[in-house]
Amino acid sequence: MIEVIDGGRWTTIQDRGRPGLERFGIPPGGAADWFAARVANELVGNRPHAALIECTATGPTLRFDADGVIAVTGGQVASLADWRTVRVGRGSTLAVGTIAPGLRTYMAVRGGVAVPSVLGSRSFCQLGAFGGGFGRPLAAGDRLPAGQAVGHEPETEPWPPSHRLPVRGPWEVRVMAGPQTDAFAGDALERLGATACLVTPAIDRMGLRLETPGLRLQSQEILTVPMTAGSIQVTPSGGLIVLHVDHQTSGGYPVIATVITADLPLLAQARPADTVRFRIVDSTEAARAWRRLSGWLELDL
Amino acid sequence: MWQVAPAGDRALLITLGTIIDPALLGQVLALDRVLQDGRPSGLLGTVPAYASLLCHYDAEVTDAARLEETIRQLEGKVDGAIPSGPVVDIPTRYDGPDLPEVALRTNLTPAGVIEQHAGREYLVYCVGFAPGFTYCGELPDQLDVPRLASPRLRVAAGSIGIAGRQTGIYAVESPGGWNLIGRTTLRLFDPTADPPARFKPGDRLRFVPIP
Repeated sequence: MIEVIDGGRWTTIQDRGRPGLERFGIPPGGAADWFAARVANELVGNRPHAALIECTATGPTLRFDADGVIAVTGGQVASLADWRTVRVGRGSTLAVGTIAPGLRTYMAVRGGVAVPSVLGSRSFCQLGAFGGGFGRPLAAGDRLPAGQAVGHEPETEPWPPSHRLPVRGPWEVRVMAGPQTDAFAGDALERLGATACLVTPAIDRMGLRLETPGLRLQSQEILTVPMTAGSIQVTPSGGLIVLHVDHQTSGGYPVIATVITADLPLLAQARPADTVRFRIVDSTEAARAWRRLSGWLELDL
Repeated sequence: MWQVAPAGDRALLITLGTIIDPALLGQVLALDRVLQDGRPSGLLGTVPAYASLLCHYDAEVTDAARLEETIRQLEGKVDGAIPSGPVVDIPTRYDGPDLPEVALRTNLTPAGVIEQHAGREYLVYCVGFAPGFTYCGELPDQLDVPRLASPRLRVAAGSIGIAGRQTGIYAVESPGGWNLIGRTTLRLFDPTADPPARFKPGDRLRFVPIP
């Protein structure tokens, strides 16, 4: 059992989420930085999609009722060695503290966090206020059961820096044209690609609002269509909303381009005032980027 | 002509049309059924909305070009009739905070707005945006009002709103920009139920005023 002494800024339980339920209005959810989450589970010897703790901006303070093995990855914390396994003793308290650089830190616990599964996932769904054990972010007094260890032994070596994604901007994020690129002027996507976009404070797991200094894209509402994570919606005022894992499942703003799966973790770590440049790629490069990260995850430490 | 466009590296969006039209919804639902039944290799799941269908695929099994080819072969061959089903009554208390404003904008009395809204059957065009949110159409011309200039941060579950030629039911508390004219106690989303959403596209419903 892990007791939450302080919930931190916005700490939730996440696994791979609930892809496939979008037709009920349920976002896919899951860890916003799926790559960091996979590495954390790999380090402690969990299955790839075991439920873990997603910390945002300021992490929680936790007390461990039993000896355990944890690993933290993603955004940096000063409180403990990251990207490697750490043993925690029975009765010990860990204050994760401030996350910087980066925005989200993942803490995997050997055995996984065994909160109940709802609709096939332990992930907290903010829009539906269900899952994640409590139907809300973690708060003081919550008790998190640890599951049975089922995978391999914990890794003893740190995860090599050469096989990590950056957690600090400026960001280069790869996008593919579509699906509504045609709703814009012929050179709109190229002009967007040439613009240093600015991350605003309006960012969460549903999406990130970005400004496009020096660029005013023209956009009109369209008939409501289904949306995916990575959709770059252009609002009538010309701003961007980049949808993330807890995205609305449908929307009426045209999508000028879509972020590739391999680069969604970068947007999970972006902070207000960071700059983002979108680079337009084709499906071949998107596939290559995916294979590169998949290859990293098969690393034998 | 269907438009097929990538929605990232894992999905294709099939756009059958760009207007609210029962015939287009019928084709979307028929295409959805054919794909669900036939399960082309690598297709993971589909999401219908109004006049489009999103197809998620496993990029390690298939690719956009192969999936598009499969889907293109169905063009013009799907039967677009919407199966007739029961009309579900939505008990509605018409006391929404925007009812007076909607009445002003439409040159109706509040009672006139209620009469127009409750006086017809609606088709569910989409369940989306947030869990269980039910988009229905079409409203009579007379009730066509724009969205709120600035959306509310919190709209209570069960709220019934109108915007443009659409009316919708908020199934969970969420932000929202529609004009709220009423509410229902009917529960439209329950994560422990199967299916979790009360309605699906193609269903029919009617708002029944209650005191």
